[in-house]
Amino acid sequence: MSRALQKYLDQVILYANRKEKESVKIRAELEDHLRQKTADLAARGVPREDAVFGAIEDHGTARTVGYGLRKGFALLDVRTEGTARGFVAIGPRAVGIIAFGNVAVGLFAFGNIALGALAFGALAIAGLLSLGGISLAPLGAAVGLAAVGQGAFGMIACGGLAVGLQVPWAIDGVSLLSGENGLQFLQHFQTHEGTVALVAITAWLFLMFPIMNGVMCSIKRNEYLRIKKADPKLVE
Amino acid sequence: MPIWVLSGRRNMTRLSKQTLDGNVETLILAVLESGPSYGYAIVKELNERAEGILQLGEGTIYPVLYRLEEKKLIAARWRLAENGRQRKYYRLISKGHKALATNRRQWQMLSAAMGKVLGSAENLLPQPQVKGATI
Repeated sequence: MSRALQKYLDQVILYANRKEKESVKIRAELEDHLRQKTADLAARGVPREDAVFGAIEDHGTARTVGYGLRKGFALLDVRTEGTARGFVAIGPRAVGIIAFGNVAVGLFAFGNIALGALAFGALAIAGLLSLGGISLAPLGAAVGLAAVGQGAFGMIACGGLAVGLQVPWAIDGVSLLSGENGLQFLQHFQTHEGTVALVAITAWLFLMFPIMNGVMCSIKRNEYLRIKKADPKLVE
Repeated sequence: MPIWVLSGRRNMTRLSKQTLDGNVETLILAVLESGPSYGYAIVKELNERAEGILQLGEGTIYPVLYRLEEKKLIAARWRLAENGRQRKYYRLISKGHKALATNRRQWQMLSAAMGKVLGSAENLLPQPQVKGATI
């Protein structure tokens, strides 16, 4: 068996990230396929070495094939292309309980575009709490440059309880929907306990984003090291 | 005997993943309808039946096969092949037959409707080549 084929299969199995027993069977099946394809090409007059590379090329890149072979919904799915699906999902697009990605959908979603119960991102849309550049939380609290929600805090804030900054063009402290004026709302926190609670909640909100991003970076690094350890050329 | 060629690479449009997603399952079920088969043979059969219009990455068929197996539309068994190696054979089972019948009906309806609205797909099919000219 050609070394090139073996190496390709190693890479596919590496990206597939399945249990040992499953990997053995998947590998056997793919190997059978590639052997047959190589033999077919060789029978058509293609030189043996070209036939091997032709078979590999027709099969698809190791990363695409390997990612395709991953479990439908894993405990942890980290990938650099396509959609990651898992309890913790990290990818360009991610769907999971905790999702990180350019587009992230999850109970906790972190991304450029994030959708979830709690969403953090450039465009964050959430049921309970959204934190981001443009932040929408129709049922909960939204914090961002532009925030729309039942409780909305931002330069431009619109909601049941809307609190905006003192800039000329902002909708400042004005409730556009039913509810009280934002400044009136803040008066609830003028007691010592109220202030402490407000500071604690705000601190938690703003700390959560870097903490979760730290967790994501750590997981991504582990995946990077796993692949690098198996085949350094794959991460060059 | 006419030589069948593609009507020009520029005229070929790569089908998007979204267009193919889900439909590859139906195509595989259709191939397996004619009897048990294995990965490589399924790919070959698909390419032959599609007359080169569908160019699937051969490795992408396996995730679909495993998904069909999980959905219990097909069953798989390892058997000894003629080359002396173990080979995984897939076959359609009753739930798969029903799914194929449903999908086929839906596709025929959709295809008829799309054809009427968008026009025939005749110009996408390979043209017979005559010496010095393409019909």
